[in-house]
Amino acid sequence: MAWLNSQSESALTRGQFAAIAELRWRIFHNSLRTLHGRLELVSRLVAGIGYSIFGIGGAIGVGIAAWYVVSHDALEWLALPFWLVFLYWQLFPVLATAFTENFDPATFLRFPLGYHSYFLLRLIYGALDPTTFVAFFWLAGLALGIGAASPRALLWALFVLAAFAAFNIALSRAIFSWIERWLASRRSREILGVLFFLLILGAQFISPLTTYYAHHYSRLHADPALTVATHFVGVAEFFPPGLAAIALERPLQGNFAPGLGSFALLCLYTLAFLAVLNVRLLAQYRGENLSEAVAPAIARKGKQGVQTSWHLSGFSGPVAAVFEKEFRYLSRNGPMILPLLMPLVVLMILRFSFANARHGSDFLARHVDFAFPIGVAYALLILSNLSYNCFGTEGVGVQFYYMSPVRFRDVLVAKNLAQGLVLALEIVLVWIAVAVLFEPPSAGMTVATFVGAIFGSLVSFGVGNLMSLYSPKKIDWAAFGRQRASGITALVVLGAQAATFGLAAIAGGVAAYFHQIWPATVLLLFFVAAALHLYLYELSRLDSFALSRQESLIAEICRTT
Amino acid sequence: MHLASVRVAFSEGVLELLNSMDALAIATQHLTRRFGQLVAVDDVDLRVTPGQFFGFLGPNGAGKSTTIKMLTGLLAPSAGRIEILGLDLAQNPVEVKRQIGVVPEGMALFGRLTGAEYLNFAARMYGLDRETAAKRTAELLEFMGLADQSRTLITDYSHGMQKKLALAAAVIHGPKILFLDEPFEGVDAIASGTLKAMLQRMIARGATIFLTSHVLEIVERLCSHVGIIHRGKLVAQGSLEELRAGVQAHRSPDSPNAPAGETLTLEEIFLRIVGGSRITDQELSWLG
Repeated sequence: MAWLNSQSESALTRGQFAAIAELRWRIFHNSLRTLHGRLELVSRLVAGIGYSIFGIGGAIGVGIAAWYVVSHDALEWLALPFWLVFLYWQLFPVLATAFTENFDPATFLRFPLGYHSYFLLRLIYGALDPTTFVAFFWLAGLALGIGAASPRALLWALFVLAAFAAFNIALSRAIFSWIERWLASRRSREILGVLFFLLILGAQFISPLTTYYAHHYSRLHADPALTVATHFVGVAEFFPPGLAAIALERPLQGNFAPGLGSFALLCLYTLAFLAVLNVRLLAQYRGENLSEAVAPAIARKGKQGVQTSWHLSGFSGPVAAVFEKEFRYLSRNGPMILPLLMPLVVLMILRFSFANARHGSDFLARHVDFAFPIGVAYALLILSNLSYNCFGTEGVGVQFYYMSPVRFRDVLVAKNLAQGLVLALEIVLVWIAVAVLFEPPSAGMTVATFVGAIFGSLVSFGVGNLMSLYSPKKIDWAAFGRQRASGITALVVLGAQAATFGLAAIAGGVAAYFHQIWPATVLLLFFVAAALHLYLYELSRLDSFALSRQESLIAEICRTT
Repeated sequence: MHLASVRVAFSEGVLELLNSMDALAIATQHLTRRFGQLVAVDDVDLRVTPGQFFGFLGPNGAGKSTTIKMLTGLLAPSAGRIEILGLDLAQNPVEVKRQIGVVPEGMALFGRLTGAEYLNFAARMYGLDRETAAKRTAELLEFMGLADQSRTLITDYSHGMQKKLALAAAVIHGPKILFLDEPFEGVDAIASGTLKAMLQRMIARGATIFLTSHVLEIVERLCSHVGIIHRGKLVAQGSLEELRAGVQAHRSPDSPNAPAGETLTLEEIFLRIVGGSRITDQELSWLG
């Protein structure tokens, strides 16, 4: 009887998996009915080509490195490609979310899905992202490199690489599921946002600090890189990438037992992270609700005063209202506001490089005046987060714009004003930072950069307004590693930024040709005039654009699944 | 019950109204909305006079929300014309929106604003000056019992508080017509009482209210006039008495219920018009 039950359960599971696979196919197939869906497919194909190149190129590189290390008996370096794959596998999904599929397997929990099926489903979804696709290419390259150098080691290498892949999938799933747990409530989301920002911030300093300490060590040691690497390898062998390397290295040296021990430890790591993942998934499976908790209505004693809203001289009440709303939203959203500090961080990193290169040939050491435009260019890049999907965080509130007696042009002007003010503040901060960290930018460079920033921001606003209407994407701050802009938007942003910086580079070339900055300023002013003309033309058409996109915009931004 | 015959029964009153289009608060002509092959709203001619508390009823998927979205400018019609207070909505969207207030299905709240900030924002969007906006915000928060939560983020409000706030935002500019899509859904008795009090004040001051609801008891208690939409078509509209009289006059001889002279409830009227009481003979033997 029990055998019959397990038979029917496995048939049910097979049926469920088949149904889910068919569902995904149907969703994909049906998405092609709309132009937006077809364009999304094109953007994914373009991204797919990029990922394939990245995967194959990386596989060749890693494969050659593995072949060299094994065939030249430099096995102590075998850990490096493993660390490379590991860091890529765990960090890249966090940084590149534009082409990550948004699908939450928890939506299947309302069906009679067994826990083991749910667990497996989570792992499979985790393994179906572009990062894993590229990482598998790299691991295949690693296997081929090792196999080419030592064919008898290939079979064992495949075992080790499979265990390493399983570990990485388990770890990334565990990290994602736990971070989503912490992102579920607004306050912990803010805290996590700050911690995440600090982590990214810290990572930015790795390279300049390494260079700095390498310089420092070079006075004491003959080969500083080797010294640092030796220290690192000594510690790193206790971590999974090091264990995977040792699991291969020792058998290649004729010591199978320590290799087997490392392999077993690697498997233990995998099991440990699967257990960590299990805790989270079991809680989900049992019906944990991580939606935004409604605070208990604890009334504060007494009435709370009502302040008047902001006044924006020269602009209508609705423009001022949307402008105020944008700033209030920004001030209450750590993940949105923290990246705005990045230009200053970049300048500090450049300052480190600059200090290290005093005796070398760093670009900024020779052209310190370029620190200001570099900082401003970075600020423009950050601005794209705000402008290219400017309704993404509105939620159901986006309907209000269509209900109220306000022209959509005014709504977007207000949003652009807010974005422009943020950029202006950033430019001032960048100028001060450059003056403190390097030297005050020359008046000519300041004016040229400022004009260039106006040009860049006009392009950003113009393209951003259109993309916000035509290719919106709901931003869910409680979801980790998901898209915050559509694939089409991501591609258009890349194109627009390439065009902007290309034109700015032409202006730079003109300045270099004349050995004076003002011809570049004049050329940039010409670009500003052209961009302003196009921007104003777009504003005059925005109401009809918004009306034509009304249904799809509301449907996307207000969707609940 | 034959829908066409019910419709004919109310047409006399409607014709009267058609002759005085200028006096109408809401008027639609051949209003139609298609989604691909599906005709969600089919040739609807609505007539709502100023000061009416109009309940718009229909089974799930009948086209209520689609109609209210079109009437409030949230959805463009595929065909037909909408006039609000004599203004063509397609020609004068801004002017129309200035005179109406809307509580849509999703409430259209900005979760990361506080209650006071949102009301201030809404007031400014409707063109009120800063001082008036602040004054009315304070008054509305007080009326809705949200004054001690005015600095709490909306995302932390309970569902009932959010409904009250959405209604406050919809009325802050003193609209002549108020559109409400399922205002009592998921609202407890206390919050519901506050909402009703607000609506009754508006009616007493001459405003027009257009409301959709599944709670027929509430509609019966609040509304003076009712329209019923079924499968996209407006199958009945008029005062409750007109509807009742129409249904009783056209009751088929084999009708099992409601002896002559009995006062039909709105639920009974609704079920007879849309044929909702039909239960099939299928056994569904596999059900528990």
